[in-house]
Amino acid sequence: MVQAVARTLDQEMDRDRRVVVMGEDVGKRGGVFLATDKLFDKYGPDRVIDSPLSEAAIIGAALGMAVHGHRPVAEIQFADYVFPGFDQLVSQVAKLRYRSGGQFTAPMVVRMPTAGGVKGGHHHSQSPEAYFVHTPGLKVVIPSTPSDTQGLLRSAIRDDDPVVFMEPKRLYRSHKEPISDDPDFMLPIGQAAVRREGTDVVLISYGGTMAETLRAADAMVEQDISPHVLDLRSLAPWDEETVLEAVARVGRVVLVSEAPHSASFMSEVSATIAEEVLDSLLAPPARVSGFDTPYPYAYDREYLPGPNRILRAVERVLDY
Amino acid sequence: MIRESQRFEPFTDEPIRVINEAGDWLADFELELEPEELQRFYRDMLRARMTDERFGRLQRQGRISFVAPGSGHEAAQVGIAHAIEVGRDWLYPYYRDMGLLLAMGVPLVELLGQALATKADPARGRQMPYHPGSKEFNTFTVASPIASHVPPAAGTAISQKIEGKGEVTVCTFGDGATSEGDWHAGVNFAGAQGAPAVFVCENNGYAISVDLKRQTGSDTIHQKAHAYGMPGYYVDGMDVLASYLVMQEAVARAREGVGPALVELMVYRYGGHSSADDDSRYRPREEVSLWRGRDPLERFRRFLEKRDLWDDEAERSAREEIDAEFTAALKTAEEAGPPELSLMFEDVLAEMPARLRRQRDELLGDGA
Repeated sequence: MVQAVARTLDQEMDRDRRVVVMGEDVGKRGGVFLATDKLFDKYGPDRVIDSPLSEAAIIGAALGMAVHGHRPVAEIQFADYVFPGFDQLVSQVAKLRYRSGGQFTAPMVVRMPTAGGVKGGHHHSQSPEAYFVHTPGLKVVIPSTPSDTQGLLRSAIRDDDPVVFMEPKRLYRSHKEPISDDPDFMLPIGQAAVRREGTDVVLISYGGTMAETLRAADAMVEQDISPHVLDLRSLAPWDEETVLEAVARVGRVVLVSEAPHSASFMSEVSATIAEEVLDSLLAPPARVSGFDTPYPYAYDREYLPGPNRILRAVERVLDY
Repeated sequence: MIRESQRFEPFTDEPIRVINEAGDWLADFELELEPEELQRFYRDMLRARMTDERFGRLQRQGRISFVAPGSGHEAAQVGIAHAIEVGRDWLYPYYRDMGLLLAMGVPLVELLGQALATKADPARGRQMPYHPGSKEFNTFTVASPIASHVPPAAGTAISQKIEGKGEVTVCTFGDGATSEGDWHAGVNFAGAQGAPAVFVCENNGYAISVDLKRQTGSDTIHQKAHAYGMPGYYVDGMDVLASYLVMQEAVARAREGVGPALVELMVYRYGGHSSADDDSRYRPREEVSLWRGRDPLERFRRFLEKRDLWDDEAERSAREEIDAEFTAALKTAEEAGPPELSLMFEDVLAEMPARLRRQRDELLGDGA
């Protein structure tokens, strides 16, 4: 997946001189995860900008560049470190189009490795997507495959609005698949993907927990249960239509994400299902999530929603 | 790098001043401004003062909800405005800069439309009064969170540096802003990049009620420039020509690619922080009247009168014109009427998401 990021950045920088990359260690180092590998040698210090160690400076300056005609792709080294730049995102970036009446816009991307599973403790493992989804004016994308990363990152760079692009870091090197050479390969933001067709229960997830969700689905098939699996891919806007259609048809749904349980993005999905298709439900929606603790270093495996916890939730909705 | 044309030294012990209270020219160089330009400076200051007073009256009448008085800041703001090449350079202002925007030429009717939230506001009534912005004037829309515009200003300056067209970004703020992390983040980044940014503190000594001593352990604001590798200029901001000439030099320096600067313009705010403030709780009245006695308009008027460039008649006719302009602009701005309710849902994103469209339709009814 990380090569998909680097390749897409390279192609977009090659295509459009306005595209610049900025962040901590993105230059000669090529990014701590190598997401900007080789870009500095190819495009130089004016387009691959090693910023000071300041997330507020990175996000704020990216906005100032975007307003002036550049198309910055800012990297926050870990999603856990976005908070010094949170005010920039929420107060400045998200509201600029609205508060200026459309006079100024913010065509920029803020990339950040997100989520857990890499033994990083709570300051290298959090899933802060709900904060951004709660802010009107931002788009939020979390891919789970290298190909989606490519198609969605390109769409994000070419989008006229600010996109928070969250990359599940435990997938950076675990998930391998061929990536496209097409320099215009794009996927629309706001469209879910159907990962498996089924009739007994709908499993919905995104990002890092897609892998566990698909493993649980494999186990279900062995037990003669037919799962319908959706990958949301975008959280703002999110694909209500695809979700509601599937849930209304199947009647049972399990929502999987590793963010803390309370007021998570899946709370929104669950509420929307209850509001829109309650009559079609054969069981209450079930959520499998992280717990309401800070991310626990020593209990990585127990904290993340693994296949066993997902299967228990599936049993609950099937036996209801 | 020191340029040969450099007139002013950074980091002086006393604020740079070229006109004294009596209106005498103090500097050891010739003033190279035409009489019309000098008159224009005074008129812009007068217009800022009178507009400030008229906005205050609108607030007391309940026609606008809020004002952030700028009286006392006129010399600084007019000096900044005339150092900017309008249409080429960029401005990142803060909420007390009404006089600065007026002197740059932003139409009064737009500023009134903004305060009244009518269709005369190019931003469609989206913000509280004193939060204008103008794409046409490269003037970034004001946001309330203090100093949050400083990193974006640095970014625009970095973008200008990359493009190499000799544009400059000017970013203004009050003294309180210099305590925010974002202020340091932005100034530091501009310093590291050598970007063409001029950061300007309109230091009126108070962040609402907190005075400079409790704001910072530094004796001054401009000395903070040392830490970011740029010159810091200490200027009497109630001297319009000192403000203008130092700003002009800092802007020219940035334009030539020498790098950013920090300019501290010492001013005094005659009114409260805002219409929601009672400054008598924290500022002794004697202090306010002492500064009232150092009025920047009167000082510059004395300077002009000594050169036969202004008199009572000029004052009377300028006041009449400004008054009439305000009355006409107010009428136009008010008559534009409120923006349509449907506009509430526009400009969140380039394309309205389906969910937001449903929310709009629900509010507006089926006929929408």
